Formats: sequence, structure tokens, C-alpha cells
Amino acid sequence: MTVDANPQDPHGLREQIAENQQTIDRLNRDLSKRSNEVRIIQQISAEITSTLDLDEVLGIVLRAMDRVLGFQHSMILLAGLAGEALTVAATRGYTQSGAGAQVRIGDGVIGVVAERRKMMRVGNIGASVRYLTGVRARMKAAGQLAAEQNEAILPGLPDVQSQLALPLLVKDRLVGVLVVESARPNAFDELDEVLLGIVANQAATAIDNARTYRMVDQLSRLKRFFSPHLAELILKGGADDPLKTHRREVTVVFLDLRGFTAFAETSEPEEVMGVLHEYHAEMGKLILEHEGTLERFTGDGMMIFFNDPVLVPNPAERGVRMAVAMRDRVSEITTRWRRRGYELDLGIGIAKGFATIGAIGFEGRWDYGAIGTVTNLAARLCGEAKPGQILISPRVVGEIEDLLEAEEVGPLTLKGLARPVAALNIVRLKETPGTRRP
Amino acid sequence: MGAIGMLPDEIKPAMQGVIPSHVVTCSRDGTPNASTISQVYYVDPDHVALSHQFFNKTKRNLEENPRAVVCLISPETFEAWDLELTFERSETSGPVFEAMDMQLEAIASIVGMKGIFKLRAADVFRVTSVTKAIGERIPLAEIPGPR
Amino acid sequence: MIPDRVIEVLHGPAFMQIGTRDGDLRPAHTTVVGAVVHEDRETVTVFVPAAYSGRLLSDLENNGRVALGAGLASHEAYQLKGTYVSSRPTDSKDLARQEAYRAALLAHAIESGYPAEIARPLTLGFAYSPGVAITFRAEEIFLQTPGPGAGNRMA
Repeated sequence: MTVDANPQDPHGLREQIAENQQTIDRLNRDLSKRSNEVRIIQQISAEITSTLDLDEVLGIVLRAMDRVLGFQHSMILLAGLAGEALTVAATRGYTQSGAGAQVRIGDGVIGVVAERRKMMRVGNIGASVRYLTGVRARMKAAGQLAAEQNEAILPGLPDVQSQLALPLLVKDRLVGVLVVESARPNAFDELDEVLLGIVANQAATAIDNARTYRMVDQLSRLKRFFSPHLAELILKGGADDPLKTHRREVTVVFLDLRGFTAFAETSEPEEVMGVLHEYHAEMGKLILEHEGTLERFTGDGMMIFFNDPVLVPNPAERGVRMAVAMRDRVSEITTRWRRRGYELDLGIGIAKGFATIGAIGFEGRWDYGAIGTVTNLAARLCGEAKPGQILISPRVVGEIEDLLEAEEVGPLTLKGLARPVAALNIVRLKETPGTRRP
Repeated sequence: MGAIGMLPDEIKPAMQGVIPSHVVTCSRDGTPNASTISQVYYVDPDHVALSHQFFNKTKRNLEENPRAVVCLISPETFEAWDLELTFERSETSGPVFEAMDMQLEAIASIVGMKGIFKLRAADVFRVTSVTKAIGERIPLAEIPGPR
Repeated sequence: MIPDRVIEVLHGPAFMQIGTRDGDLRPAHTTVVGAVVHEDRETVTVFVPAAYSGRLLSDLENNGRVALGAGLASHEAYQLKGTYVSSRPTDSKDLARQEAYRAALLAHAIESGYPAEIARPLTLGFAYSPGVAITFRAEEIFLQTPGPGAGNRMA
């Protein structure tokens, strides 16, 4: 099992363990009371670094903190990949798991530890909160508070009195935060800080490695369907997991080459591949430029949609602009192709509506796909389009009519659609955008 | 334990701010000032720090007359400790200030006062005497009622 | 002269302390267990444990300056500054006052959110008998509640 893009090599890990070994040896000498715990931490570090599964690593750390060091309530939060909020990744000792809860950087002990990258130990949370709450109330009564600020909502014990939180750091990168807490005031001391410090050190590297491994695995899976840029965006949380079934309003663009079948039948295979190659390359460029999602392509037919997996502010406009750009580009290419005797031209259909989107297929062969009336409509409009036409449905028209010069092509009766569709053909884009209709 | 330095380890629980402490200072013209502080912070075996926020008279006194006395109560043994202190300096940066600042920031965010409560300074004192006030307290075992 | 609310607070339940200083301006602190404001609303008598009255009395006899801090668990707090008048041992009437004060202090601590295992030793743990009753005349009253107005003179 090889892991791509893992900068943390085993040597770095061994150095760290060696360093910690020195600390551990010193502690063993100085603290005979706790030597048992310290020896067991050495054992834990071996366990932690033996696996690359993130959930296993987190579980090992928290279990050890409970069973060996006696911290009944603990949790690990992971830093967001883009540096925003922390997310609870694993907990132990709570009635509800709380996984997935978020903490903003700077909120509470956890958020401040993440912000300052320094450990913090507090033993008087109840008393401190009461004190500041009183001051706040008096300031408010005296009219000294300008704006209402929300109290931070934090995961953990509701009646917490003591907390000890450490940043999990790899080099100077924040991987997450390790937290133990208690409903007793003054529950933790300096020795707890030292012990947890050792655990945090080991855990940080192991968690970082496991996380990287998981990300690389996910990234390669996503890259099968999406451009590298989009795949990274999805991984960083810029878009929801596209493979989870969801419904979204999308703009669908369907295109294919008129005359391609006849051309393929009468031409040499090398010629056909050459044409397809050039066509795909040019269309592909335009799809990327307009940030569309290529859902499928079968020979000369392509289906692209806008607004999934990444939301965009103006999906219909993008679809239309892309379609017009494609038509212009293909008409340049077909001029050349005509000189060689190929009679090919583009037909495009654009529709807008809700689709069910997610993973389609079966175990071992999942694909990202969209299903709905909107995809049928776009495909049928494309089928009806004469060479060089871009047919759009009424819903698309409504959103962007000021951008276009369009002509009615009359109500079309399309297979699979109950009512005739009043489609339009885009003649051209207006040079200057008109005022939008509200 | 605590062979070098004034503050013994057993006093540390009293420096967690679980029970408020009392501080007395004195102006140059001889008027004492008695106030309450939420936490006396442990710096090292010879130093403590107080957070500088609301009690300006205390601060003004210290500038005129650096001597102070602080009474702490341990939330574990409930013994009272009297510390005689001499004001050394006000810090607005460094590990002591930062630790106190982080704590204030964390609690302020919980209360919805982020950015409004700010630590102005950490006032660092040298500890000149430590007295455990034995006899001022009734032994825990003799206090009536459930614990 | 002493405002009503301050009298209320001094009569309990408030955590109280006396601040004094010696001839070299070295401050001293003594815990107070119970207080009573006289009818003239100027004179105050506080009770301190006899075992810890030595330094206090010596300071008072040296210069007579006294500061009394009184604060609730809610952090509502006041300070009285004034001049020493006299002292005497506590009597049975004082003791009764002190018992009532201690009970009220405990109830107040629990109500204010102190866990019981802290509230009981904290409020009932001060030695109070034998005690010394210290009387002084209050000359200045200050608001000490943290927040707006802290440090302002009230009377």
C-alpha cells in the first residue's frame, strides 16, 4: 500500500519518539508515582503509529486517556482544511457522541487554544463565567454595551468546571485540539499537562498521517469524475459530498454533432478519432472555463450541468454563454472539416429544473450522475435542434432573456414530455447586457 | 516540596480562582484599601500575578506604595494563606500575560463579550512572606452538615 | 450616612474583610465574621477571630485607619473607609449575631452557585469565637462591584 503525497516520513516520526523517549526517561526517574502511566504511554505511541485509519487512531488515543490516565471525558477536534472552524472528530465519556459539532477559532477554551496554538488549563469555569456574566449584565444596564453578541456554543459537559486543552501541532501546522474536561473545579494539575503533552505530540503526527492518507484516497476517487481543481474544492469542504444523493436545481446543456453517425460510418477510424479528439479537447476547454460539470460523454454527445456539485450564482447564464461559445468554436472547426469533406455541425439543447443527483451504479462501479425531467428535456431539445441551433426551454429563457436575441421555434412535442414545449433558438448574445427583469 | 522559593506546591490549588481572594493595599497617605479579586495567578515559586482590569484604586496605590497582602483560600483544604507581596512590574506581553489573556478571552467568548473584556496588564509581584493561617479555620471534620 | 443597601449587605450575608496598615505602610488583612451598623448609620462594629486580632489591633492603635470590604457572591461589593473608635471582646449577643450571619452566608453561597462541598467549608469554616468586636466610624463609602462605576464614591 503506497500513499501519495505524505511528507511525514517514518524518520521524522522516529526522531519524535526518540525525543519523547528522553522526556519519558526523565519522568520515569523523577516521578516514581506515575511511572506506570508513563511506561504505558510508550506502549500507546506504538499502537497509535501502527495504523493509518483515522477513526482507529482517534479511538486508541481517547481510550488510552481514559483507561490509563483516568481522564473520563475527552475529545479530539480536527482543524478545518481551509483554516476555519474545528470539528469534533471523536469523543469519549459523553452520553451523546457530539461528533460533527463545530467550534469557531477563538470560541471558548478549545477555540482559543486553536487560535494561539498554546496549551490552556482552567479550573474555575463556573466561577469565571458567573463573574463575567454579572459584569456584562451591569454594563448592559448602564447602557455600555453597543451590540448584542452571541454566546459561544461549545460541545462538552454542560456543567464543566475544569478543562485542559492542547493544540495538536505538526511542525507549525494546527492539526486539531485535544481536550479533557471535568465537572469538578480544579480537576487537573501540572502533571496532567505534562502527560497530555506527550500524548498530544504522538497523536498529532499519527492523526495528521491518517488524515492525509484518507484525503489522498478520497481525492483519487473524486478525480475520476471532476477536474483536479473541483476535486480539491470538494475535499476542502467547498461543496457537499457530490456522491450523496441530493436534489438540486441545475441547468443542463446537451450537445452533439449532427452528421456524426454518417461520418463515422464512411470514414477511416483514424479520421474519426482525430475529429473526436479535437472536438473533445475544444469542448473540454470551454467546459472548464465556464466551470460546468461534465456528467457524461458518449462519442459525440455530451451532457454538462451547472450548479452541482458547486453552487454558482448564475447557472443558466453560464450554460447559455458556454453553449454560444461552443457553437462559435465548432463553427470555426467545421469550416476546416468541411474542406476535408466532413459534414458535421453542432446541435445544443438547454433546460433548467430539479434533478436527483448522486452516485449511480453498483459496488465497484459507482458513477456520479443526474436523473430527472430536466435531463430528458435538454436531451430532447438537443435532438430537435437543427445544425447550428441552440434550443432553450422557457424556464431558461425567463432568467436571461435580456442577454439574448432569440427566435421562437414554436411549441415542440417531445417524446417523454406530456406537454408541448415553447422553445426558443438563440440567435446571438447581445453585446451589452440589458437591465434584468425583476 | 517547595524547598527553594516561597510558594509551596500545596498552595497551587488556591491559585485556580475557584474561590475569590482578598487583597489589601495602602496609599502613600496611609489609607488602606480592601478589595476582592477573582484569581491570583501562580507565576513561579517566588512570584504571583494579578489581572489588571477594574480596580484602579488598587493599582494607583501600588504605584505609590508597592506593598500588598493577599489572602487565598484553598478549595481543597479550605485553609487560608496570607501572602505578603511587593509589586514589581506590569506586563502587557510574555507568557504570564498570555496565559491570563487566553483565559479571559475564552471565558469572554462563552459569555458573549469577546473583544470587550480585555486584559489590560498582568501585574507581577514578588512574594516576600507566606503564612498559612492555622487556627483561623475550623477543621473540616468539625464543620456540621454534609460535605 | 451609610446607604440602606450597604447596611443590608453588611448585616449579611456578605463576605467581609478588614484592611489595615502599620507604621511602615505595610498592609494587613483580617477576615471579618459578622458586622452591625449602629443606629447613627455611621458607626460600624465588626467581629474578628480573637486569634487573629493581634496585628489588627496593633495597626489600629498605631494609626486608626481602617478599610472594610464587603462583597456578595454575586460580586456586588462595597468598601467603607474610616477611623478606629474602640474594641472589646465579643459577648453572647454578638455571638448570636454571628451564628445568624454564618447561616445566611451559607444559604447565599449555595444559592449563588457554589457547589455544596465548597460552600459549607467556605462559609462555616472561619473561626469566630472567641472574637473581638472592633468599632469604627465610617467616613467614605465606595462602590466596588466590578463593572461600570467601580471605585466611585457613594457617600
